[in-house]
Amino acid sequence: MPAGVFKETYAAELGILRYPIHWAGLILGAGIALALPFIVGEYYLMLAVSFMIFLIGAVGLNITLGLAGLISLAHAALMGMGAYVTAFLAQHGVNVLIAVPIAGLTAAALAFILALPSFKLKGYYLAMASLAAQFILEYIFALIDPDQYEPVPDEAKYLGGLYIGRGVPLYYITLAITIIALLAATNIARSTIGRGMKAVRDNDIAAEVIGVNVYHVKALAFTIGGFYAGVAGAIYAIYSTGIGWEGFTLEGSIEYLGMVLIGGPGRVVWGSFLGVLVVRTGWTLLESLLATAMVSYIAAALKYIILGGLIAAFMILEPEGLIAVLRRIKEYLRLWPYSY
Amino acid sequence: MAGQAEVILGTLVQGTLMGLVYASIALGFNLVYRVSKSINFAHPAVILLVGYVALVVSASYGLLQGLLASLLVAAASGFILERTLARPLIGKPPAALIGATLGAYYFIKGVTYIIGRFQAASLPMQVSYYDLGPISVSSNDLVSLGITGLILSSVVALHKWTRIGSAIRAVAEDAEGAAGYGLPVGRLITLSWVMAGLTGAFGGLAIAVKAQVSPAIEFYAIKALAASILAGLDSIGGIVVGGLALGLVEQLSSILLETYLPGIGGHVAFFFLLLILLVKPYGIFGTERIERI
Repeated sequence: MPAGVFKETYAAELGILRYPIHWAGLILGAGIALALPFIVGEYYLMLAVSFMIFLIGAVGLNITLGLAGLISLAHAALMGMGAYVTAFLAQHGVNVLIAVPIAGLTAAALAFILALPSFKLKGYYLAMASLAAQFILEYIFALIDPDQYEPVPDEAKYLGGLYIGRGVPLYYITLAITIIALLAATNIARSTIGRGMKAVRDNDIAAEVIGVNVYHVKALAFTIGGFYAGVAGAIYAIYSTGIGWEGFTLEGSIEYLGMVLIGGPGRVVWGSFLGVLVVRTGWTLLESLLATAMVSYIAAALKYIILGGLIAAFMILEPEGLIAVLRRIKEYLRLWPYSY
Repeated sequence: MAGQAEVILGTLVQGTLMGLVYASIALGFNLVYRVSKSINFAHPAVILLVGYVALVVSASYGLLQGLLASLLVAAASGFILERTLARPLIGKPPAALIGATLGAYYFIKGVTYIIGRFQAASLPMQVSYYDLGPISVSSNDLVSLGITGLILSSVVALHKWTRIGSAIRAVAEDAEGAAGYGLPVGRLITLSWVMAGLTGAFGGLAIAVKAQVSPAIEFYAIKALAASILAGLDSIGGIVVGGLALGLVEQLSSILLETYLPGIGGHVAFFFLLLILLVKPYGIFGTERIERI
């Protein structure tokens, strides 16, 4: 009887669920996720929905930035594109669930255009190109939506007679889309595409030499990231009664960047998960505490100070993000009490 | 058609004035890029902070004290940014410094929010208007022209003709070689960051004088990136050309295209920036980078 876990096939070695703890985690996680509507109230359920929306968006940016190393400061604008497409389709009587993939594909097409500068530019120059794209998209949003309010009509939010714009149905639909998105992202990161992206990130000239099609990989990284952003925007539109472009400004893009950089760039699922948990959901909970305890403008300013300080601190002290901190804690506990 | 000629002349004058303001803000990006090979995305927030410090201090202690305090804050923020962000991240990939300076951007913006609460207000200055033939300029325009002209010419002169200037140029060219000749590289890099903060502060004050102190100041600073790129990120003298081109493009497009695309004047800088990046990313006066594995 062998001690420990032994793999007898390559499939088992490469699987996502390799150890008993993975199975335990899956059962526990799935149990909590499925049972959540029966445990918590409406407020926390909607918090979970907003968490999943931004998780999908952050996973998209983590593919573009973390895996392929392409700095995109236009991610919030891509999400806005998805939201606007969904609102437009819903106003013309298209069901929002049909609008979700269309929004994703539109944002992906837009992201492909944003990828064109990356063929020629990298590093700072690429960051500035995406910054310019973010402002240009904001300008276009302001042109088509001057009063900052595009309603997403309730008539489009039905699935066979069931209203999905709110509450438990919205939660389960978002959960289903999130799980599909996360599984796809995991497999993208583990596949030829993901390894090609990592090669381009580490050294694009060397990657070209060993036979990676750099243009193809860069375009794909932007397009996949854009697709995720578009899907996130579409669910955001379902979740809201109306959308305005003030949610998709440069600050939104910097927040996405903060989620990826704080969580763990390159760790597509868990890095994004931690990042969104800290930057988005953690902040929402903290804000409700601060709002009662302090003057409102200081609470609003603290958001900038805390998030900015966290991003800068993580870049200097722990560039691999929160996930590396957790890994270190895990190693310490695993070896405890003989931690040498 | 005398009226139209006057409009065009006035636009050219305003474009030139704004162009000089853009040039002095963009100089802050270039000074940093030359020595640290990185873009300081915190620069717009520093300019915002400078505007609000000037506003708040001058409200209670007088204009001169306000301006001095804001310059001090600008120099200090350049120093702190270099010591806390740029120095630990030497040799790291660009994403690290982009992330770190964006974090600093957010941080400084939050501090500014607490100081100034993001209200719009003018600096306490008397405004008078002068008629110069067909166009009229305000005293604020002249002050802004004086500030930006002075700062641009003095930084360019410092870089070209003084011992410190040639030392900074040596560091920008090859930091390790400069260290080999005994130059204090670390201190020169810090000095460049401080100078970048100061030039940006003068540019920000020029905007505060011309328009007013409001959250929109940082928007001007982001647009100044287009001037930086057009000149080439590592050029110093060329920045005047970049700034003037940006100012003129902006003013001309706002009178020519405004009827078709409302609000284009404020945003044309980003189309301009994207165009330059696609056509000539290293700018007119910048040196092209040669990559090795």
